[in-house]
Amino acid sequence: MTQEFQKQMFNFLEKKGIKNFIGVPDSTLKNFIKEGIRKKKIIIATREEEAIGISAGMLLADSKSLVFMQNAGFANSLSTITSLIQLYQFPLIFLIGWRGYKKNDAPEHTKIGKIQPELLKSLKLKSKIVNHQNWEKNCEWALTENKLGNSCALIIPREFVD
Amino acid sequence: MIRKEAIEVCLGEIKNKPIISANGFISRDLFNVKDKKTNFYMIGSMGLASSIGLGIALKKPRKKIFVFDGDGNILMNLGSLATIGKTKPKNLIHIIFDNSIHESTGSQPTGSDLIPIEKIAKASNYQYIFKISTRMEILKILKKIKKIPGPILILIKIDKGNSIGDRISRTPKNIKEEFMKNI
Repeated sequence: MTQEFQKQMFNFLEKKGIKNFIGVPDSTLKNFIKEGIRKKKIIIATREEEAIGISAGMLLADSKSLVFMQNAGFANSLSTITSLIQLYQFPLIFLIGWRGYKKNDAPEHTKIGKIQPELLKSLKLKSKIVNHQNWEKNCEWALTENKLGNSCALIIPREFVD
Repeated sequence: MIRKEAIEVCLGEIKNKPIISANGFISRDLFNVKDKKTNFYMIGSMGLASSIGLGIALKKPRKKIFVFDGDGNILMNLGSLATIGKTKPKNLIHIIFDNSIHESTGSQPTGSDLIPIEKIAKASNYQYIFKISTRMEILKILKKIKKIPGPILILIKIDKGNSIGDRISRTPKNIKEEFMKNI
């Protein structure tokens, strides 16, 4: 199963100095989250904006952070991203599970999923699409952006419909 | 006692310790009462002051971290009480200035006169909860909390009414950088 790379991805990011993983669960990201929970490194927030707030606090304490969420939760968070993360220039890594990537995904995901690339573009938030082949290269890219003080996003599309 | 007066009394005890202040008049009042490098003025992202405070408190467990919140702000992010309750930061002091209105946007009612926020915090595992309204009580409680573990909620009932001070003149980037250097 190609989604197994998410476990390696978690361990890679942790080894490279990401200390905090905060977010709201998403089935597309479940292997990433499962590994983080196993290692007791995950904080589950009640909402995506809350997760972003907690991570901003951790960044204020100079501790590197990643937030994870579904694209629908990302869309909920637009104003927090502009008025907190981008306004204060917090270097935060977003990991986003992308529902509605496949046209035949569940109906509640199709409309918001379709505009996901446009949302990223409107925010001017740099992003990369991650899969089992390119994950290491794209994690390195995110870590470099992070070191430069930029926020950025890694997107994992939902490749299957169950 | 209006919010600005309550903030003045608090600052007399809190002195130079880190404060995360909610957007709107709370941050503006804090800026006008005592601007300092350990103030993080959250000028946007309404509701998230307690979440930011939680993140700092978890990573700086030896430092007492104060959040200056409002009733409208916390009602917008009630989930934060649950997350604070489950992560149990001993060093987090959550102060809510409660006037039951959204004063910054024209004094619309929040409903906190009908819904007891302190009871929600209690059910969310806050270790100590104080509901107070006078200067003497603020001074007494801020002395007391030096010796007890958090998370602590101090709900200060304040009067409606505002003395509009200057807007925060520092840039967000400067607020962040000075805060990080000085906590």
